[in-house]
Amino acid sequence: MLGLSIFWIASSPRVLGAAAIPTHVADVANGKLLYNAGGCLSCHKPRPDLANADKALPSGGFPLKTPIGILYPPNITPDSATGIGDWSDLEFVNAIQRGISKGGQHLIPAFPYTSYAAMPVTDVLDIKAYLMTLPPVVSATSASDIPLPFILRRGIGLWKWAGLDTTPWRPDPAQSANWNRGSYLVNGPGHCNECHTPRNLIMARNNSRFLMGGPHPEGSGKVPSLHGLIDRKRYKDKADLVLAFQNGEVFGYDHMSAGGMGQVQSNIAKLPQQDVEAIAEYILSLK
Amino acid sequence: MQAQSFLRTVTAGVLVIGLGVTLAFASADDKIKARQAEMKNNGKAIGALVAIMKGEQPYDAAVVKASIDSMAAGDAASAKVGAWDADSAKGETVETYAKPEIWAEGSDVGTKYKAWVDARNAVAATTDEASFKAAFPVLGESCKGCHEKFRRPKEN
Repeated sequence: MLGLSIFWIASSPRVLGAAAIPTHVADVANGKLLYNAGGCLSCHKPRPDLANADKALPSGGFPLKTPIGILYPPNITPDSATGIGDWSDLEFVNAIQRGISKGGQHLIPAFPYTSYAAMPVTDVLDIKAYLMTLPPVVSATSASDIPLPFILRRGIGLWKWAGLDTTPWRPDPAQSANWNRGSYLVNGPGHCNECHTPRNLIMARNNSRFLMGGPHPEGSGKVPSLHGLIDRKRYKDKADLVLAFQNGEVFGYDHMSAGGMGQVQSNIAKLPQQDVEAIAEYILSLK
Repeated sequence: MQAQSFLRTVTAGVLVIGLGVTLAFASADDKIKARQAEMKNNGKAIGALVAIMKGEQPYDAAVVKASIDSMAAGDAASAKVGAWDADSAKGETVETYAKPEIWAEGSDVGTKYKAWVDARNAVAATTDEASFKAAFPVLGESCKGCHEKFRRPKEN
């Protein structure tokens, strides 16, 4: 009985309260930038059977393979019935930063709230403001193919208790402003960590092997170690890595498009020059 | 005359049988090696074109033509040994980085292949730097089209 009580307490959804939402005038342009840095569209792209779907809108439903089964990321356009049109700021922030759905359920951590938890709330509100400017798409998405009985859903809460770090990202005062911007984009919205850092026995990120690569989350092949790529001088300098991010295979960087990285590269290519340089500077500093 | 004609017929027949035997005996390993050689060759050809794209080398119609011809020749050589046939999905001793999705039901590899051939032809038809720089990104994207979906990452 005590064990059950401890499980119940440890696994309960830890929602943020209204006090977590600051007064903030949303910056839509910043929201759009972070939406691209996060590559939201790559997972929330339209389901393959949606007629005349605008592939540039995150209407969701495209099957996403994960180690535990197939997920259908939801519609995040501002449609009220099938999208996030009637979500409050607090509901949005709880989903993005704590992995808790509007209905109060734990979300499966294929959705990288484990990285987004490090972002300032104001940046998350900017993303919401940007999403609200998109045309609403009516598209209901299927429930996941993962049979998660209530008690196991609740188990995600236990997992979060052990594996969800909600420490906000902090700049390193010893580094340049550019390096810190890169660090933020990589570790917060960019969520590079989710694939490039291996996971431990309980599937939480093993931070002692930060960005050192590991098995591919879709189950085929490996995700390279960023330290390894830098050590082997795959990119000879910052300018080279910037060109790789901005152009991918168009400039012959064929390794930029394997295992899902091609979509990531397309998303990074949408960022302003200075941000791509910041990401490159930060990554090249990993030895 | 008749003897010569007969000789030719026999020779042709032997060549055809020889080719058939070669085809029948190309193992999955041989096919994987053949397509890896094709990709290596493509990489070399693309390298010459990327140098023009980046402005490291001036536009040279002869270089562009040679590069595209080299890719087309590699494509034809692979087709000849069935390097992209479904029976080459898994090698006996040679490791392949091609994903089985290439040959799965509903795969759009054919559409993606056609996009590559069309893009190759468009680059071959360029006449100056401006038309080249407009056509080449489509070729690069067509490489990405398959690599993104059908190639698993190699290194740890």
